[in-house]
Amino acid sequence: MTAGIIVIGLNHSTAPVQVREMITFPGNEQGNITRLLLSNEGVGEAIIFSTCNRSEVLFVADDVSNTLERVIADIARIHGIPPESFRDYLYVKTAKEAVNHVFRVASSLDSMVLGEPQILGQVKEGYRRAAAVNATGPILNRLMHRAFFTSKRVRNETGVGLSAVSVAYVAVELAKKILGDLTDKSVLLVGAGEMAELAARHLAGQVDKPVVVVNRTFENACALAGELQGCAMAMESIEDCLVEADVAITSTGSCETLIKSSHLARVMRRRRFRPIFLIDIALPRDVEPQANDIDGVYLYNIDDLQAVVVENIGERRQEALRAESVVAEEVGKFMDWTKSLDSTPTIVAIREKLEKIRLTELARSNGKLAGLSPAQREAIEMVTKSIINKIAHDPIAFLKKARSKPKRNLYLDVVQRLFSLDGSESDPESREEKSVEK
Amino acid sequence: MDLIFFKVAVVFYLSSSMSYLIFLVFPSIKSTSVALGCAVVGFVLQGLSIIHRAVFFGFFPLGTPFDALSFFAWFVIGLFLLLQCRIPSPIFGAIVTPMASVLMLFGSTFSYQVREPLVPILRSWWLPIHVTLALAGNAVFALMAIGGLMYILQERLIKGKRIGRFYRLLPSLETLDKINRHGLPVGFFLLTVGIISGALWAGSVWGFYWSWDPKETWSLITWFAYAAMVHQRVVLGWRGKRAAVLALIGFGLVMFTFLGVSALLGGHHAFKGPGVGAFAS
Repeated sequence: MTAGIIVIGLNHSTAPVQVREMITFPGNEQGNITRLLLSNEGVGEAIIFSTCNRSEVLFVADDVSNTLERVIADIARIHGIPPESFRDYLYVKTAKEAVNHVFRVASSLDSMVLGEPQILGQVKEGYRRAAAVNATGPILNRLMHRAFFTSKRVRNETGVGLSAVSVAYVAVELAKKILGDLTDKSVLLVGAGEMAELAARHLAGQVDKPVVVVNRTFENACALAGELQGCAMAMESIEDCLVEADVAITSTGSCETLIKSSHLARVMRRRRFRPIFLIDIALPRDVEPQANDIDGVYLYNIDDLQAVVVENIGERRQEALRAESVVAEEVGKFMDWTKSLDSTPTIVAIREKLEKIRLTELARSNGKLAGLSPAQREAIEMVTKSIINKIAHDPIAFLKKARSKPKRNLYLDVVQRLFSLDGSESDPESREEKSVEK
Repeated sequence: MDLIFFKVAVVFYLSSSMSYLIFLVFPSIKSTSVALGCAVVGFVLQGLSIIHRAVFFGFFPLGTPFDALSFFAWFVIGLFLLLQCRIPSPIFGAIVTPMASVLMLFGSTFSYQVREPLVPILRSWWLPIHVTLALAGNAVFALMAIGGLMYILQERLIKGKRIGRFYRLLPSLETLDKINRHGLPVGFFLLTVGIISGALWAGSVWGFYWSWDPKETWSLITWFAYAAMVHQRVVLGWRGKRAAVLALIGFGLVMFTFLGVSALLGGHHAFKGPGVGAFAS
C-alpha cells in the first residue's frame, strides 16, 4: 500500500486575517518545527509552507484520519492556542486533491493575486528548510520537484503572470512603453498627499534622478522631498518643472484645474516635443482631460489605470484556465508515478526490463548463432534466462521484504532509479533539481 | 532552374509571414521562432540567388527590375534581421516579411531575362556603386516607414487607453522613434551619395551630369523631402508621431520614384522601351 499525501492548511480564502495571523509557525527558520511534526508517529515526511496569505502543512502518512488529528493538535500546541480556534478554517486535501493543490499553489493559481511570482520562492524556501532537516523523503521530494516543474511550465506556456495587476505596476509599465528606459528620466510630483507619495515611490525606484516635488505649501513639499530623497520646488515654477520632467504625477486637492491644455501646449514646444507621461490621481482632476489630445502628451487618470488593472486581471483569469489544464496533466503524471511506487509493479517492471535486455541481445547475436542446432539454441535460451533470474533474485527478494519496513518508499524509489524504470524521467529530473537550487 | 534559390526564398518568406500572422491571431501558438528562422533561411537563400544570378549574368545582377526588386527586398530583410536583436517585436516581422514577399513576387512578374548582349554602359563599376547605394537608402527608408507605422499604431493604443496584447507586443514609443532618429541621417546620406554617384556615372559616359530625366527629377524631389525631414527633426525638434507620418510620406515618394517613374514616365532609368538600350545606341 502506498502512503497518502495530505495537505492541511488555511489561506486567504478560507480564513480571516486574524486567524491567519495566529498560525505562522514561528521559529521554523531552521526547520525545527518541521522536524517536530515528524516526531509524530505515522508521519513519514513533512513540509511547512508559511506566507502572509497561507499556512500549510504537507505530509505523508499511512493512516490518514488518525495522523490528521495528531498533526492538528500539534499545530495548536506549537502556537499555544486551542485547536477549536482554527479548526473550522482548515481545509484538508488528500491524495490526488493534495497533489493538485500543491501544484496549483506553486504555480500561483491559488494566490490572492493570481499569478504573482513570489509564491514560488516561498514554496521553495519551505521545501529547502524541510530538506535541510531531512524531513522530506522520496515522495515529497518527487512531489516538490514536479511542483516546480509544473510552475515553470505554467509560466512558460501561459500568460498567467504576464500583465500588470496593480495600479503602480501598470503606471511603471506604461512609462516604459512611452519613454523607453527609465533610468535617465525624471519624475515630478505635484501635490504632497499620501496617494502621490505611494505612486511616486514605485516610479522613483526606477529612475536615477532625484524626484522633484512641487506643492502649494512649500514646507510640505520639502518634507516629502526629504522622504523621497528628492528636491522641492515652489508651485510658481510648475511650468519649468513640467518642461524638465518625463513623468509627472499630480494629486493636489485643488478645486480648479491646475494644468490646462494651453499650458501643456506651451510646455510641449519648450520641451521640443519630448513626450511626457502625466498621471492624474487627483479628484477633482488636476489636468484638463483634453490635454491627452496634444501630440506627445500621454495623460492617464486613476480611473484609466484602474480600468487597465481590471482588464489585466480578467486576462489572467483567462490564462489561468489554460494553466489549470497544465496542472491537471502534471497531476495525472504524478499520480501514475505514485501508483508505480509499490513493490508489485516495481518487481514486474524489473523482470520486464531484464527480459527485454535478454531478447534484444539475443536478437543482436542472431547472425553468429545461426549455425547452432535447435538443441544448442535451446541451451542458450536457458542460460540467458537463468542469468537474468539470478540477477533479479536479490533485488526482488529485498523489495518483498521491504514491504513491511517504514522506509519502503525510499527503497522503491532507489530501486526504480537504479534500474531507471521510469526511464523517460531521468532527464527532466536533473533539470528539476537545478531549478530547486536557484 | 536558374530561379530555384529565389523561389525557395520566396516560399520561406511567405512561411515566415504566415507564422508571424498565426502568432498574432492565435496567441497560444508560439510560432515566432519558426517565423524568424524562416526569415533567416530565406535571407540566406536569396543571397545565394543573387550570387547565382551574378554568375549567370557575368556581372552585378542589377540590370532588370526583377533583380533590382529582389536586391531591395534582400536589403530590407537584412536590415530587419540586424534590428531584430534590438527590437524583437513579432509585429515588426509581421510587416517586414510580407512586404519582402510582395516585393519579390511583384519583381517576378517582370522578365528576368537579361537582354543580350548587355548594354555596355551597364558594364561599368558605377552600376553596383550607384544601384547599391540607392537601394540601401531605400531599404533604410522602408524600415523607417515601418517603424513609423508601428509608432502610429502604438501611439493610438496608448492614447486611446487600449492596453492589451498588441500594446505589449509593440516596442516602446521611444524605441520606435529611435528607428527614425538613427535611420534618417543614414538613409539621407545614402540617398545623397546615391544621387551623386549617378550624376558622376552619367558624367563619365555621356559628358553631362544631370539631364532632368524623370527618375532624376523625382529623386531630387525625394531628396528635398528627406532634407526637409532632417531639418524638421534637427532644427524644430519634430519627433514621434509627426516624424512617423513624414517617414511614411517619404517612403511613398521613394516607392514612386523607384517603381512608378520607370513604369509611367520612362526615361533612361527605365528598364525597357526607350530606356537604357535606346539611350545607349
